[in-house]
Amino acid sequence: MTRLTIGIVDYGVGNLASVRHALHAMGYRCRIAGNSETLAQSDLLLLPGVGAFPAAMQALNASELTDFVRQQAMDGKPVVGICLGMQLLADSSSEMELTAGLGLIPGKVVPLEQSRWHIGWNSIEVVREDPLFKNGEGQAMYFNHSYFFDVPAEYQAAVSRLDELGEPFTVGVHRNNVVGLQFHPEKSQAAGRHMLTSVIEGLCRA
Amino acid sequence: MLKKRLVGVITVKNGWAVQSFGYRRHLPLGKPEILAENLDRWGADEIILQCIDRSVHQMGPDFALLDRVAQMGLGTPIIFSGGIRTVEEGIQVIQSGADRLCIDALLRDAPEVARSLSKRLGAQALIAALPLSMESGRLCWFDYRCRTHAALDEKVVALLSDKVVSEALVIDWKNEGHDRGFDYELLKHFPLGDVPLIAFGGLSEAAVLQRVLDVGQVVAAAIGNSLNYRENAISAFKHQLVGLPLRAPYVEIKPN
Repeated sequence: MTRLTIGIVDYGVGNLASVRHALHAMGYRCRIAGNSETLAQSDLLLLPGVGAFPAAMQALNASELTDFVRQQAMDGKPVVGICLGMQLLADSSSEMELTAGLGLIPGKVVPLEQSRWHIGWNSIEVVREDPLFKNGEGQAMYFNHSYFFDVPAEYQAAVSRLDELGEPFTVGVHRNNVVGLQFHPEKSQAAGRHMLTSVIEGLCRA
Repeated sequence: MLKKRLVGVITVKNGWAVQSFGYRRHLPLGKPEILAENLDRWGADEIILQCIDRSVHQMGPDFALLDRVAQMGLGTPIIFSGGIRTVEEGIQVIQSGADRLCIDALLRDAPEVARSLSKRLGAQALIAALPLSMESGRLCWFDYRCRTHAALDEKVVALLSDKVVSEALVIDWKNEGHDRGFDYELLKHFPLGDVPLIAFGGLSEAAVLQRVLDVGQVVAAAIGNSLNYRENAISAFKHQLVGLPLRAPYVEIKPN
């Protein structure tokens, strides 16, 4: 089977080394780049996490990657966003100021209502029949965020709750060839990496 | 539901992992990356990599160490502490493989840099490290560089109340490295009731951990020296801590 190449989008503040080394350990080839020429050579584009939404979009716009990522997604290239990278897939975010996102999945990024932050390990609930997400059901994943992607139900793939009776909020989205994971699968030990493998293989070899 | 965490702490001095006793004596343990690999294998919920000599000597973060740890591709989140002086260094630490930053000297030296860092990385990426002790019934903040202590100043309290950082690492520095237990008064006297706390120092017994983690405001317990002396110590603690919302003891899942 051909070894897949993951293009990790460098937008200035992401946890690039974390993601790259995790993907290497999972058997993938990686290219970290902030230019479209290199990223276009990959089988899948990955938007990593960590950072604030406005600074990340500003960096994507400055390096002219916004239109590139949008076009690649529209052309059918698999795109995966992790943590902040998932939020960048939205139409907009209200973090710090109203900022337009990539608009690849309808919805907006808004503050968590029940707590200032969602930091640590929490289990996820898969809310639809989706082969990319099914092995994540009930698994604890590592989260580190304070905003979440408020998405129409048709694109919602997984949710979490702060406590057992709490309101669910979206932690996984899926629209055609675009997937977003609010948690850090690369930092969620075996369960997270198993799920990330499912997502990458499911998108690239479908 | 969101779980409370058991965090493994690796203390590094002159590039070597050390066993620390009350912020004063240090005994070498070996290579930090080997300890990190163990904690990852044992299923620690997070790993704090704290380099205790970088700020003292104005050396900046130990990027070589971070690179060695990152190259191992560990599946456990890494919190890095030590030597961060500027926004650029903080961002580089994240880019080099850390998932969060723990800041100590920066809180005293340049709180405005902590605010700028928070704007770039988000407050969820920042933890305030606060070595504390009770002195004559008063909560005091220890400055390990000049070995003095004073009340928490207004600027650092403002960083916490303004949500510039997401959590505070409450370090019982007097009990760190000893088996005398953790001084619960530090938690009782903490000035802000809505700041999530990570307790650290003297947490080497399950009963002590249980009591600390029973405190609602405590979201995590950080354990240093005692983890290095028995295999699967994290898992063993989790089996002993009953009735707490903890992630299940680590079980490796084999891919289909």
